[in-house]
Amino acid sequence: MVQLDEKIEEFLGTSFLLDRPWVTIVWDDPVNLMSYVTYVFMTVFEYSRERAEQLMMQVHTEGKAVVSTGSREEMERDVQRLHEFGLWATLIHDR
Amino acid sequence: MTSTAGFSRQGEATFVAHFSPAEVEVLINLAAQLIEILAERVDVAHTDPLAQMMGISGHDSPPDDEVLLRLLPNAYADPVESADFRRFTESTLRGKKRAHAMALRSDLLQAENSAVSIDQVGALAWLGALNDIRLALGVRLNVEENSYERLELLSPDDPMRGVFAVYTWLGWLQESLVQSLMAEQEFDEEQGADN
Repeated sequence: MVQLDEKIEEFLGTSFLLDRPWVTIVWDDPVNLMSYVTYVFMTVFEYSRERAEQLMMQVHTEGKAVVSTGSREEMERDVQRLHEFGLWATLIHDR
Repeated sequence: MTSTAGFSRQGEATFVAHFSPAEVEVLINLAAQLIEILAERVDVAHTDPLAQMMGISGHDSPPDDEVLLRLLPNAYADPVESADFRRFTESTLRGKKRAHAMALRSDLLQAENSAVSIDQVGALAWLGALNDIRLALGVRLNVEENSYERLELLSPDDPMRGVFAVYTWLGWLQESLVQSLMAEQEFDEEQGADN
């Protein structure tokens, strides 16, 4: 029997049908305040406070997190805005 | 250093802080240094008017100075892609950071009785400037994830001790502004829900 449950969360995190294989990554930084990083995610991406806090915690505990997915142009815009706020962000082609 | 209450939200989208004269001096001094560091990265003169118009800086290699590299980081792991991105975007990024520091300095220079009152736009500029100053100090202090203890244990006559005190105070000030902005956002959402 095919186990969908295990993979479903991973799948829901991607935009499989859309050809948008670029991702923006934010890296952990010892200077940036946790509340500030949360606020930046809420401001730049209009994420809910809950989602922004989850991403901030992921950056803090795992050292990095994918914060947005989209076209190369969109991700370059996101990285530029995050740099304006002083977050350490890069983009990569995700495949 | 006389302690203040930091930033608080006073009325709709207004953020107020009362500083001591010494705090005002420290903030103006640091903002001026930040502006100077950014100015060290002068644009490579472009003779091409189109390039000038597009804000293309000509810089495609990362800054040598570690502070500048932290303020103007690489966007790609790949140096070639990173250089391309930098050529088209660094000038704009530098301009924004400079504008934030200028806003902070000008608000303080105009402050009566060391009291600063800013709106939402002003608060975002302050937030960016305070963060950039902390990033720069963090590089110079060599701040790492667990360096708090190391810096706390500096001997009383170590000149870095004063810098670390300022760094810690700036973090606390920035935190008060973030919390005020978060409160403002929640207030807006409640208002939206009522309408």
